[in-house]
Amino acid sequence: MVAEADLQTVDMLLNMGPQHPSTHGVFRIVLTIDGERIVDAEPHIGYLHRGTEKLCERENYRQIITLFDRLDYVANFNNELVFVMAAEKLMGLEVPERAQFIRVILAELNRISSHMLFYGAFGTDIGVLATPFMYGFRERERIQQLFEAVTGARMMHSYFRVGGVADDLPDGFTAHTRALLDELKRGVQECDRLLTYNEIFLERTVNVGAITGEEAIDFGVSGPVLRASGVPMDVRVAEPYLVYDRFDYEIPLGKNGDCWDRFWVRIEEMRQSIAIVEQALAMMPEGPFQAPVAKFGFVRPPRGDTYARAENPRGDFGVYLVSQGENTPYRVKIRGPSFCNLMALKRMTVGHYIADAVVILGSLDIVLGEVDR
Amino acid sequence: MIGFFKSLAVTLQSMLRKPVTVQYPGEHLPMSPRYLGFPGLLWDDAVDEPACTGCLVCARYCPTDCITVSMKDNPLHKEGKSKRRKIVDDFQIRMERCILCGICVEVCNFEAIAMTDYHEEADISRGDLIATKEDLFRMGRDYQKRAGIVVGAGSGSEGEE
Amino acid sequence: MTWADVGWLVLSVGLFLGFISFVVLFLTYAERKFIGRIQQRLGPMRTGPFGLLQPVADAIKLLSKEDLVPGRADRFLFWIAPLIVFVPAIVIWVSIPFTRDIVIENLELGIFFVLAVMGLSIAGILMAGWSSFNKYAMLGAVRAAAQLISYELPLLVAVLGVVMIAGSLDLQVIVAEQNTVWYIVLQPVAFLLFFTAGLAEVGRTPFDIPMAESELIGGPFVEYSGMHWSMFFMAEYANTFAIAVLTTLLFLGGWRGPAPATGWGQDVMMAFWFLTKASAVILVIFWIRATIPRLRIDQLMSLAWKVLLPLAFANLVMTAFYLFYGWPDWSIVLLSLGLLMATVYGYYVRRRSRLPRPVTVKLRVRQGRIVG
Repeated sequence: MVAEADLQTVDMLLNMGPQHPSTHGVFRIVLTIDGERIVDAEPHIGYLHRGTEKLCERENYRQIITLFDRLDYVANFNNELVFVMAAEKLMGLEVPERAQFIRVILAELNRISSHMLFYGAFGTDIGVLATPFMYGFRERERIQQLFEAVTGARMMHSYFRVGGVADDLPDGFTAHTRALLDELKRGVQECDRLLTYNEIFLERTVNVGAITGEEAIDFGVSGPVLRASGVPMDVRVAEPYLVYDRFDYEIPLGKNGDCWDRFWVRIEEMRQSIAIVEQALAMMPEGPFQAPVAKFGFVRPPRGDTYARAENPRGDFGVYLVSQGENTPYRVKIRGPSFCNLMALKRMTVGHYIADAVVILGSLDIVLGEVDR
Repeated sequence: MIGFFKSLAVTLQSMLRKPVTVQYPGEHLPMSPRYLGFPGLLWDDAVDEPACTGCLVCARYCPTDCITVSMKDNPLHKEGKSKRRKIVDDFQIRMERCILCGICVEVCNFEAIAMTDYHEEADISRGDLIATKEDLFRMGRDYQKRAGIVVGAGSGSEGEE
Repeated sequence: MTWADVGWLVLSVGLFLGFISFVVLFLTYAERKFIGRIQQRLGPMRTGPFGLLQPVADAIKLLSKEDLVPGRADRFLFWIAPLIVFVPAIVIWVSIPFTRDIVIENLELGIFFVLAVMGLSIAGILMAGWSSFNKYAMLGAVRAAAQLISYELPLLVAVLGVVMIAGSLDLQVIVAEQNTVWYIVLQPVAFLLFFTAGLAEVGRTPFDIPMAESELIGGPFVEYSGMHWSMFFMAEYANTFAIAVLTTLLFLGGWRGPAPATGWGQDVMMAFWFLTKASAVILVIFWIRATIPRLRIDQLMSLAWKVLLPLAFANLVMTAFYLFYGWPDWSIVLLSLGLLMATVYGYYVRRRSRLPRPVTVKLRVRQGRIVG
C-alpha cells in the first residue's frame, strides 16, 4: 500500500474561456485544479475592451448616451440614467417631475429584465436544460416589447436625455404596463417555484462561494452580491436619487452571502421592482418631460467635476465627470459594479469544485461589456 | 423532496400553456410606431426632389461616423422650382456601423432623414451593407408613404422619431 | 443450423437494427418537441410538417460534416472509441423481448447479459476522453468512469430484488411472473433505485455530469464531430430507451395490458402496451431533464455510495426475509414505504445539520427610509 502522502500528484491548469458557454461573454479564468478541486483561480479580463472612457472624451453629451447603452448591455436604462444624472448635477439642472417618474419606471423595469437574464443564465450554469433560460427570456421579451413601444429600440434605447427624456410616453402606456406587471408577477412566481427551494438547487448553491459582509465591503462588492452578505446598502435608500424617496418597498437581505442568497435576493428584488413601478404609475404627474436645455441635448456643462451614482441591477454604478465647459467632457471615469464584484471571484472560488466555479461566476452576474468597458 | 416535485409541477403547468413562440419569417411581432429601423431619406413630393440638402450635420453628429454625404448645386433652384439652393449629391450609410441611435434624425434641420421600420437588411457581403442613395430613398419613400409623412415647405409636419 | 435459420436470424437482426435506429431518431425529435413544450416553445417546426423530418436533417448534417481528428490525438483510440460505445448499446437488444414472441434470441440469463454488456461502454468513453488530448475531455472521462462504476452497483443490487421474487434472470419469465401484481408495487424501493441509477448510467440529467454542458462543454465528446460524434449520440439515446424498456419489463409488467391478450392480433396489442409504457417512462426522463439541476461530482458519488447502495442492500435483505418466511405481500409494501420515508427524513436531518439554513431578511423602506 502506498500512503496518500507519498503519491505524486501534479496540479493541472485548466483554461476556462474566453470561449466557454458559461463565462457569460468573453471572459477567461485560469483555474489551477487538484483533481476536481480548485487551488487557484486567476481571472483575465479585457477581451471586450472598447475604450469607452476614452471615446467619451471625443463624443458630445448626446452621443455619449449611446456609448453608455453599450456598457452594461442588459441594463441600458440604468446606465444612461447615471450619465445624464452626472451631467444634470454639474449643470444644476432641475428635471421635471414627470421625467423623473418615467425614468424610475423604465429603470425598475430594466432591473427586472436584467435579473430575468441572470435567472436564466444561472439556471443554465447550474445545469437545467435551458428551462429557466426560456422562462427568463419569456418575461424579458414582454418587457422589451414595452421598451420598444416607448423608445423604439428593444435594447439600445438612447432614450434618456440631459434634462429629461427624449419623448413623452406613448398612448396607452399605463394600461400596457399594468398588464405587463400582472404577467410579470406570475412569471416571477413561476421562476421562483421552479428553482428556489428545489433540493438539488439548494445542494448546489447553499454554502457555495460564501463571503462575509466585512470581506464583501473590503472587496468593494456592491449591489445584490453585497446585500446577500447581509449588508443593508442600497443606493436608492442610502443616497436617494430621482424620486426614490417617495416609494414603499422592501430590501431583501441574505445572511450567509452564498450563491443561494444572491439568487434569492435577486428574485425578491424583482418583486420589489414591480411594487415600485406600480406605485410610480399611480403617482405619475402630468407635465413637461424635458427641462429646457440646449437643442438636442448638446449641452455644455460648466467647468467642474462631479460624481453621480445609482443602483444598477448589478450594484453601485458611478460616473465621475470632469467638464472644461466644452461640448465634450474632459474625462469620464466609470465605476462599474460588475468589475468590482468580479474582484471577489478568486476569494469565492478557491477551495470549491470546478462545477462551483461556474455557479459562483453565474451568481456574480457580471456583464463583460461593463467589466472591460 | 417537496421542492423537487414543486419544480416538476411548474414545468408540467407551463407545458399545458400555449407556446409563446412567434414563427418569425412567417409571422411578425407587432412593431411599435416608434420603432427605430434603418435610417432612410425622405422625398419632397411637392417639388419632386430629395428633402436633403447635403448639409452634413448628420455626418458630423453621427457617433460612429457611418454617414458620407456630398452636396451639389440644385438645378431645380436655378429654374426657380425649388427653394433649396444646394441638394444632396451622394449619400451613403454604412449599415454595418450604424447603431440605429436616431441622432441623425434629431439633428436634421430639414426633416430629410427618418428612422424607417426596415430591419431585415441582412446581406452576404460587406459591400452590400453600404446603403447607397438609391437604397436610402427606396426605404425612406416607402416608409414615408406608409407612415403618411409629408415633407416640404409649410407642411409643418414632423417626422416620426 | 440450416440456411433458413441463418436467413431468419439475419432478417430479424436487420429488422431490429432498423427499429432501434428509427427509435433513436424519433427520440431525438420527441425530446426536442417535448422539452420545447415544457419551455413554452414549439420545438422544431421548419423541416416537414411539425418538424417531423428534423432527425433526418440532423442525420444528413452529421453525415456530411468533416470528421475532425485533433492534431495530437491518439488516432487509433480516437477512431475506435465511438464504436466501443456504440456496439454494446446495440448488442443488448438481442435479448430484450418486446412481446412474448418478438425477440431475437431469448436468453435465460437475459437481464444479466443486458446489464453486463451495458457496462462495457465505459471503456469507450474513457478511451474517447484519453485519446482526444483535451483537458476537458479527460476530466469528463474520469468523471464518467467514476460515475458509471459507482452506479453499476446499486443498479445491479436493485435488480436482484426483482430477480429473487421472480426466481429467474429470464426477462420473459420476469414479465410472466407479474401477471397478478406489477413489481413496482412489491419493490418500490428497487424501482426508484433502478430508475435513478439508470439515469446515471446513461448520463441523463440530473446525472449528466460527464458531459456537463456548462462546465466541461461536452466532456469526453468535446473533440468529436460528424459521424463519430453521432455514434456517441445514438448510443446515448439507445441506452436511454433501453433503461426505459428495462424499467417497463422489470417493474411495470412488460407487455401486459388491462385485458388479457389472446387470439388474433395479440402481438400487436402486447407491443402496443409495451411501447406505451416505455414511452411513458421516457417522457418522465425528458421531463426530469428539463426541470432538475445537475448534481456536483462529489454529491453524485456520495449519493451512490452513501444512499443508493445501502438502500439497495436493505431492499435486498428485506426481500430475502419476505421470500424466506413467506410474509404476505402487503408487509413488504409497507416495509418499503417505511424505508423510503426514513430515507427522506434522514435527508432532511442531514441537510439541517450540514448546510446552514437559508436565512432571509427583508428591510422595509417607507418613503425612502429604512424602518426595520
